[in-house]
Amino acid sequence: MIETTLERGVGLRIRPWLGIAAAASFVVASFMALIWAPADAVQGEVYRIIYVHVPSAWLAYLAFVVVFLASVGWLWSRRPLFDAIAVASAEIGVLFTGLALVAGSIWAKPTWGVWWTWEPRLVTTAVMFVMYVGYLLLRGLSTDFQRRATRAAILGVILVIDVPIVHLSVLWANSLHQLPTVLRAAGGPALDSSMLLTLMVSVAAFTLVYAYFMSARVAIELVRQERLWIRT
Amino acid sequence: MNRIALVAARELRAERRQPDGIVAATTFIAVLVLLESLVVGPVIARDADVAAALFWIALAFATILTTMRSFDRELEDDALDALVALPGGRDALFGGKVLALTAMLLLVAAVGGILSLVLLDLPLALPIHLAIVVLFGVVALPPVVIVDVILALRLRARAALVPILALPVLVPQLVAATRGASAALVGDDVGALSWAGLLFAFAVVYAVLGLTIVPAAIE
Repeated sequence: MIETTLERGVGLRIRPWLGIAAAASFVVASFMALIWAPADAVQGEVYRIIYVHVPSAWLAYLAFVVVFLASVGWLWSRRPLFDAIAVASAEIGVLFTGLALVAGSIWAKPTWGVWWTWEPRLVTTAVMFVMYVGYLLLRGLSTDFQRRATRAAILGVILVIDVPIVHLSVLWANSLHQLPTVLRAAGGPALDSSMLLTLMVSVAAFTLVYAYFMSARVAIELVRQERLWIRT
Repeated sequence: MNRIALVAARELRAERRQPDGIVAATTFIAVLVLLESLVVGPVIARDADVAAALFWIALAFATILTTMRSFDRELEDDALDALVALPGGRDALFGGKVLALTAMLLLVAAVGGILSLVLLDLPLALPIHLAIVVLFGVVALPPVVIVDVILALRLRARAALVPILALPVLVPQLVAATRGASAALVGDDVGALSWAGLLFAFAVVYAVLGLTIVPAAIE
């Protein structure tokens, strides 16, 4: 309990600064994405949605890897903080996955001519979204703290398998989705330098937003654990 | 190993005395084969890809039905706690259930497969290859479903939760099994064996994963 209070205290001190940094970086990223970065030679202005779509997808991966690490942490140590981190990151991961799917769909309509198509990256991402909705559902239906945390942790360990499958699906199968342009096995990023810089700033802004959300959500979960579960 | 065999034998004995899991699963597949032909029409239903996809989706649901029935029986008889309390009981529970359910599902798959072949008048170019794909496809299903049923054990809305948890994880197995069965039906021997190999790999990975983490999930 003392540990939990300590952790919450540290979170409380950091959170306002995280919020300010996230908001500031978001303003800079929006300016760069909408005004500073040049239009794409082929796609025109519509390509700018990658500054939302790509960071959302990357942050979803990060969030689900954090769920995995926190799940291992819970199974290893049974510290409630790990369970709080896992649920917070899963919720934010689902949010970012949903955002990536919606942003991708908005980009696909003018580019591919359809809102949705049955190609590997889209399908595996949708499956990942459903998997983690199931994870949250499992948590919601459990009434005992220890059991809920253990069941969720085991599922969190299993579900992370889908993250590399989503990322590599474009390489494993014939895909309509664009191949990796930044993290490429062969050579450096295949992107104009100003576009790459804008993308990196967007990723940094989204990461700060993720950190801010995490800090707030973990604090809420720790209070909830204390009031609802640990005292019972 | 002995304990796993004991749990498997006990499971099969219980199912022989009261075969509601196998009967429900087989009837479910039979109904779906009939429905397929009625809903999409006999020409589309005879397509190897369509027939194989429907068969494996039906078998995935049949696996969920049979596994849930198996654990319901344990809960009704208050047998689960006693089993878990035994030394090595948790591993034996998982391993034994995997073995017994695989045996049961092979029977269900054989009946469902023959029904599909006969009623839909499917072409069967490579029967032995199809048998291998079905064998490995069936072996790949229970480890995943058992893990999910154990995670949802004693929870309300369990009947809805288990398919939601299991089916997305089963997507790669279902794709591989469908492609493999379809390849065997149309005579693509290399395709059928490649997909069968992938299914075997899935089975091994999930069985090892299950044996590693399921003991922690069983309270």
